[in-house]
Amino acid sequence: MGKYIKDRKPSEDNWMPYTGLEDSDTLPSGDIYVPLEAWKERRDELLTRNSRLGVILENTDDVSEIIDDLDRLDLVVLQFPKMVDGRAFTQARLLRERLKYKGEIRAVGDVLQDQVFYMQRCGFNAFELRDDQDLNSVLKAFDEMSVTYQGAADVDAPIWRR
Amino acid sequence: MAYTVYTASLLKEGLVAYLSIRDGETSWTTDVNRATSTETVDDSILSTEAERSEQENIVVGVYSVEVTRDGDRLVPTENRERIRAGGPTVALPAAKNTTANARVAA
Amino acid sequence: MYQYSQADHQLLLERVTQFRDQVSRRLKGELSEDEFKQQRLRNGLYLQLHAYMLRVAVPYGLLSSEQMRTLAHIARRYDRGYGHFSTRQNIQYNWPKLEEVPEILDALAAVEMHAIQTSGNCIRNTTSDPLAGVARDEVADPRPYCELIRQWSTFHPEFNFLPRKFKIAVSGAIHDRAAVAVHDIGLRLVKNESDELGLEVYVGGGLGRTPMIGKLIREFLPVHDILTYLEAILRVYNQFGRRDNLYKARIKILVHETGEDEFRKQVEAEWENVKASKLRLRDEDIEAISAHFKDPDYEILPDNDADFDNHLITNPEFAKWVDNNLELHKKPGYRIAYLSLKSPDQPPGDVTADQMDAIADLADRYSLGQIRSTHRQNLVLSDVKLTDLFELWEELTKLGLATPNYNHLTDIISCPGMDYCALATARSIPIAQALTDRFESYDYVNDLGDISLNISGCINACGHHHVANIGILGVNKKGVEVYQLTLGGSAREDAAIGKILGPAFTADEIVDAIGEVLEVYLENREDSEEDFLTTYRRIGQSPFKERLYG
Repeated sequence: MGKYIKDRKPSEDNWMPYTGLEDSDTLPSGDIYVPLEAWKERRDELLTRNSRLGVILENTDDVSEIIDDLDRLDLVVLQFPKMVDGRAFTQARLLRERLKYKGEIRAVGDVLQDQVFYMQRCGFNAFELRDDQDLNSVLKAFDEMSVTYQGAADVDAPIWRR
Repeated sequence: MAYTVYTASLLKEGLVAYLSIRDGETSWTTDVNRATSTETVDDSILSTEAERSEQENIVVGVYSVEVTRDGDRLVPTENRERIRAGGPTVALPAAKNTTANARVAA
Repeated sequence: MYQYSQADHQLLLERVTQFRDQVSRRLKGELSEDEFKQQRLRNGLYLQLHAYMLRVAVPYGLLSSEQMRTLAHIARRYDRGYGHFSTRQNIQYNWPKLEEVPEILDALAAVEMHAIQTSGNCIRNTTSDPLAGVARDEVADPRPYCELIRQWSTFHPEFNFLPRKFKIAVSGAIHDRAAVAVHDIGLRLVKNESDELGLEVYVGGGLGRTPMIGKLIREFLPVHDILTYLEAILRVYNQFGRRDNLYKARIKILVHETGEDEFRKQVEAEWENVKASKLRLRDEDIEAISAHFKDPDYEILPDNDADFDNHLITNPEFAKWVDNNLELHKKPGYRIAYLSLKSPDQPPGDVTADQMDAIADLADRYSLGQIRSTHRQNLVLSDVKLTDLFELWEELTKLGLATPNYNHLTDIISCPGMDYCALATARSIPIAQALTDRFESYDYVNDLGDISLNISGCINACGHHHVANIGILGVNKKGVEVYQLTLGGSAREDAAIGKILGPAFTADEIVDAIGEVLEVYLENREDSEEDFLTTYRRIGQSPFKERLYG
């Protein structure tokens, strides 16, 4: 089990990643998330499952592709393949602020202590930490800065309008 | 005759340093002339020691430099490495430091 | 000047604490160098050829005398007694120790300064016109907008890991002194037919290995929409800018490959979604920030002074300086004075700690306690009384800061080159010094008139050689430093990329080659009023080519 934080607390991760291409009867009964392609192909079939459902997006995927399914999706997983690749920051803000998504937005990949502050501001509320990260240090990092200038997913107004 | 020395930057100070092995002890010197070259120690030992220092967070960015011997001096073959070993080739603005750093590398 | 709020102070303190922790984790080995590098770069700390280099932000080029004294203190206590002003109005220290950087940041924070986002793939320090607020040709003061951009871009959670670095410049005058055309985003304040204030928005300018002039993406953007529009541009860039190739990652490549019209469409489409957000500025938001940049209490003064006139007649050296290094001020009886950091004794842009302290004192005595840094690596005292100019000049002369060469041949922009820089492939400073020595004659240089000569020590073009009337690019050819000449560039409102003249010259040849270029200009100009660029544009490259390679 990796290090997983949800809503700023160490948590148990019950979600299972799947390709979505398995036969329906080989998929386990629990909560699963699948890539966007699989979701688009087998959406109707997956929706018949008696479990929660999630989607994992490539950081090049357009988040508006799941606009009609946001009520049915409990999890959207966004990826940081490398620490320096910041595309998922935009995806998270669009999901939270523009599409008003209320479910879990999870960061996976290079999820590091020095990034989580920015991630939470963009709307991420769950984090699969990279193995080498110190859980307690990461938990503290959410509060490292108390001052923010811009509006984002956490506060909608810039500092001069608060 | 060209030899190889190992160089890197000291993590804490950032200064240019060269690997030196004396009496089996590994250290890093900012003086290229005190570097240990493949003239006296096997390349594989030098590179292993250099990489170990990087893993131990003593230095950053290890690589090898070709040098030739000129009496007591070790002179890097490449111009860039001569400047790196000798410091800026122009007089530094603050007079009190000028002489120490303005050694012309070439 | 902008006065920090409680929140601004708090932010700096928290940032220093955070960086101190990052340094400590690195020294303990808990952070790898690769990961620490991303963090230290976001705090302006590079590892250069000889040592670490710390780049300190000078927001849109404004410094108080107190801040300048702190910069002097840092140079003395933590470095080797000097600093270097860059083309983006910042100051760089060449020899800090990693262990001491948190202390340096403490010292900076105490005077409302920092190194935040002076490096890394994020939105860099915004640059501007060094004559903002005092220039006669000003449409509107750019500083309030620069400050708003500073706040919006500082630790922007979405745009801190962009495909590549991102530079914004704002100009508020008819003449462009901020090189807006060669920035990722260049903004020029303009008025429309109804006398409303807005911005021309240029996107995709830049130098480096693929130099480009910014494209006019919007002709008139109401000032209230400045930040929402920037957010839209940055969002398009963050999503679609290339990340597969370091050299194709700047927004100029995205604009170029997407096409100007399609890129504009994407930005406008995104802007539709954000333009009504709370990021849209209200009148009161602009007024509140503008209040920080109100005019000081200028005295009502006559625009002439008998003593001043007398000095002009009796002291030819003073007269030279007045001719070349002064600019008219919007208020009568005041002048804007350029402090040349291009003396024969120091590398371009370098200032010693003692000079910094002295400049701070002069700013207090003669210029309302403020100093500005310029894109051409000089300093400015912006509010000097006509009656104080002679005294100021005497002091500057003692300090070696009164070389009368502003916007002249020896006012050379030079990157640090291979004497300092880990990326450089050739030295720049020795070439700048050789040129300064060769063209030391005031009369000759003065006769050449308005001309720009810039030197870069590698293809990354930090010395802005592409946009110089005469550009020099140093490269490494089979282990030898050689220098390529470009002619015809401009960084002003008529921005242009210079063209390569021909095969490169060795270090020994380049100074003579420049001499020949200047002779061709002198022989061909219509009269002494026709400047180099105008002559070049009229006669083209051929006469220069023939002389040098014929």
